[in-house]
Amino acid sequence: MSAGTLALLLVWGTLVGLDLVSVAQMMIARPIVAGTVAGLLLGDPETGVRLGVVFELFQFDILPVGAVRYPEYGPATVGAVAAAHALGAGTAWGIGAGLGLLVGLGAGWSLHWVRDANARAVRRAAGPLESGDIRVLAHLHAAGLARDLARAAVVTAAALAAGWLLVRAGVAGLPPRVLTLTAALAGGAALAAGVSGLLRIVGRGSSFRWFAAGLAGGVAALWIA
Amino acid sequence: MDRVTPPAAPPLRAAFLRLFMVQASWNYDRLLGVGMGVAEEPLLRGLRGTGGDGTAYRAAVARGAHFFNAHPYLCGLAVGAAARAEYEGAPPEQVERLRAALCGPLGALGDRLVWAGWLPLLSTAAVAAIALGAGWGAVAGFLLIYNLGHVALRWWALRAGWDAGVGVVGALRNPVLQRTPKLVLPAMALVAGFCLPLATRWLVRPFPLVGALGCAVAAVLGVVLLRWQPGRIKSLWIGLAAVALGLAGGWLWR
Repeated sequence: MSAGTLALLLVWGTLVGLDLVSVAQMMIARPIVAGTVAGLLLGDPETGVRLGVVFELFQFDILPVGAVRYPEYGPATVGAVAAAHALGAGTAWGIGAGLGLLVGLGAGWSLHWVRDANARAVRRAAGPLESGDIRVLAHLHAAGLARDLARAAVVTAAALAAGWLLVRAGVAGLPPRVLTLTAALAGGAALAAGVSGLLRIVGRGSSFRWFAAGLAGGVAALWIA
Repeated sequence: MDRVTPPAAPPLRAAFLRLFMVQASWNYDRLLGVGMGVAEEPLLRGLRGTGGDGTAYRAAVARGAHFFNAHPYLCGLAVGAAARAEYEGAPPEQVERLRAALCGPLGALGDRLVWAGWLPLLSTAAVAAIALGAGWGAVAGFLLIYNLGHVALRWWALRAGWDAGVGVVGALRNPVLQRTPKLVLPAMALVAGFCLPLATRWLVRPFPLVGALGCAVAAVLGVVLLRWQPGRIKSLWIGLAAVALGLAGGWLWR
């Protein structure tokens, strides 16, 4: 992986991290987008799409309502794709998924730290804010954005560095059966998260009948395809 | 407060662009409040001429930055309505009550319409399309279609809030807004159900029989655990446990 590609991945992961909350929310932070673009940047769209789908399934289990705390899977997916690509083997994406889950956990904590820092800054500026000082208001907002930018960059850099460490540690040399079983179980866990999360969103009302109809249609499509 | 004639060409575009960053300073004290104040500020500039020293403008900016929480795509409704109410000479307490009254409905509507409807509908459709071989084109389609709805909703919210002012509750009774969840939620449920068998096969296909069985067992156990203790057992922990088990089990599997 060249330095240029690494730099592109760092920029992409940072944009993805910003999109989650601070800027636009146009859903480039969704793992399916973050992973696919990371794969395209690496010239390995297959790994990108595969890990994108795996983390999208985990993402279905998160409903970002109110002030709820949750893992952040966008930059984590970028790191996971980079690691799986660097490890090389076809089923190394299970190891990438494990790395991504750890990064996602840490990234979730980092969101909390940034929000806490923003709250402290708002408390310090309470007086000027109450007098309608537009410069203070704009400064608080820009500082919040800068904190999230730095957070997203650090999380992505950490994810990429962790992937590099895995390669240096010789994880690529693990027996194929280890890589296969790891990927299989990670895939199973992702499916569990997806099923559970979607069932929670669908609920038990009339939408459940539509869900059941869709399930039947999906099974039928498997027979046909 | 005196009534002030609102600008003939309100700077809605400036407020609209700022709304894309309404959550940049999200914090545990005022939640979206600071971002709301920043987004509302261009619309309040017409108040600078009143009160001689801009007192009305500064007071309105300060109110705009108070605590607020709602769905980010629908915040524009409160921004537009509160700004218009300031021009209409609504007393400060009424503006505060208006903002407070909008938090719940805008949050609930946005969560239902977007987080539990539009987003999972298109996201599961993209996963199903990938499983059927569409590749990364499905992802491009997801981004394009999702954001057509997203940007349109943000613009409608700001425009409707500005047009309605203190009568903004009427905007929430918009028939399109009332009918859309009734279409989107069943569609989402249908596509979500359709996506799951396809995604399962797509994930399992590359594995040998033992791997496929392991994947199935992990999926079933995971669902049981997540449904048995919802909120207490996290899917992330199940994922990490699965990876750890895979690494350990792979060594034992000879």
